[in-house]
Amino acid sequence: MTALAISADLRAFGAAGMKEWRLLRRYPSMFLGFLFWPIVLPLAYVLQARGFAGDSPAALDAFAARTGTTEIAGFLFLGWAAYMWISMILWGPGTALRTEQIRGSLEALFLTPVSRLVILFGPLVSQVIWALWMFGIVGGVLVVFFGVSISPLEAVRAAGVILVAVPALYGLGALFAAVVLRFGEVHAMVQGVRGVFTVFCGMSFPIVILPDWAHRVALTLPPTYLIGDLRTALLGSTSIVGQVADLAILLALGICISAAAIIVFRRTERHARRGGSLAQY
Amino acid sequence: MPSGTRVDSGAELRAAWAIARKELRVALRYPMNAVNEVLQPLYQFLLPSLLLGATFLVGGRAIGLEASAGTNDLVGFLFLGMLVGGLVSTAFWEIAFSFKREMDAGTLEPAWLTPTSPRTFVLGRAISGLAISASASLILLVLGILVFGASISPGVVLAIPALALVGFSVLGIGYLVAAAVLLIREPNFFVDATSFLFSMASGVMFPVLVLPLFVRWVAYLLPSTYALDLLRVHAIGSRPLVPLWIEWVALVVFAGVTLWGGLRAFGWTEHRMRVRGALGQH
Repeated sequence: MTALAISADLRAFGAAGMKEWRLLRRYPSMFLGFLFWPIVLPLAYVLQARGFAGDSPAALDAFAARTGTTEIAGFLFLGWAAYMWISMILWGPGTALRTEQIRGSLEALFLTPVSRLVILFGPLVSQVIWALWMFGIVGGVLVVFFGVSISPLEAVRAAGVILVAVPALYGLGALFAAVVLRFGEVHAMVQGVRGVFTVFCGMSFPIVILPDWAHRVALTLPPTYLIGDLRTALLGSTSIVGQVADLAILLALGICISAAAIIVFRRTERHARRGGSLAQY
Repeated sequence: MPSGTRVDSGAELRAAWAIARKELRVALRYPMNAVNEVLQPLYQFLLPSLLLGATFLVGGRAIGLEASAGTNDLVGFLFLGMLVGGLVSTAFWEIAFSFKREMDAGTLEPAWLTPTSPRTFVLGRAISGLAISASASLILLVLGILVFGASISPGVVLAIPALALVGFSVLGIGYLVAAAVLLIREPNFFVDATSFLFSMASGVMFPVLVLPLFVRWVAYLLPSTYALDLLRVHAIGSRPLVPLWIEWVALVVFAGVTLWGGLRAFGWTEHRMRVRGALGQH
């Protein structure tokens, strides 16, 4: 690949991101959702935790012993912020490709000389902005309303964890998009995958309380490490395996998943070209 | 039916039944969606909540929940909450939001041109929505008892009239929200957010007493709060929010008020949309 082609692909990548961002801006009611859910969803679980604790010191001690932190609000807000980020990623590229398919513009898109990676990852660029916005809101709420102290160093460490998680999660999004393109169904698959993550990855609980078999499943899923390491970085809670080891596993999972996504996407594309199914839905 | 025309109640009821059957037939045509009615609440709400509850257990007992709600049956508490959560969701998504789906499909205007009253469409969808919700809730409750070990007392039958009463309120709320859906036109966020807040304020996920005081007063204005409280008191022996006779009176009053208010709001919106010719716009 020449430098010229790489530079053209990068421009196309930027243009794809800009297009998605423009589409988002056209529907201002979505902004309300991005403000509402990062606060209200975790807050519901904080209230639930308050009900489960019932001001009982023994119950609060049990929570602290299992999670390694006494910051219940921080623990839950970080877990659900990760959940919402993952939801965005799962809905994003799959829905973007499916929408292009329904609009009838997917075939035209595949006829352009642009790299397939641009088609696959382009829509995700705009979502980085939403992810930052959401983590910003969650951080703001924790500091202002729940008195959680986050030092600049801790914030940088959390940003580092998010950065390390990017290949794994966005690779997952791309893999998901390829599967959606092959089977033409988004909703049930997003719900299913999100359900698996919600049950196994510890959004609202520490994974140590899972039964052995479920704990082993949790250790194979990237969101487990993202959530665990965010909590370790900001709240000092117990890490999954060890902080450095966690990040190394997350990065390795990211490389494997991204590679799998590229292979699966190429195969899906070949299948679609042979079967002429790109425009079908 | 346009005002001034005599309503044939028998024909309207037959139409409501036909609409309900149509909606049920459509629902059964998508078996994955039907399965999701049970699975989604399980993995999106019940399991994360149960696991959060397990984080607070001391010696296997939910002593914190016992202090805040008067019961240590964590599983029963959450599964019964889901039952009422399903009813609330029916009012918002199955009854009210179905108008948005009709708008998008372009079939709302032709449907309202038939001699059937638009109010009957709401009633028909309420029947099918409540039937689906009741079936899903029953399966979830059986799962709660058999798989997760909820211990539901046979006294739960005493709370069944509360569910019937809240069914009328659900219909009234369905009318109210349907009116809002028709006016807003892009109601996804509105329905999603209000449905969630309504469920939360009713105590679906946690005891109402943990809510901040001003939100707790809102909770006391919701019929679902009392239905759920009666259900939990009779099924798992939780501590009642207020004396039980007040809860029964509140349920009867709310059933009448929400149904009357909902019908009025829906009738006013229907008239306004007919006058402005806005039915086909979305």
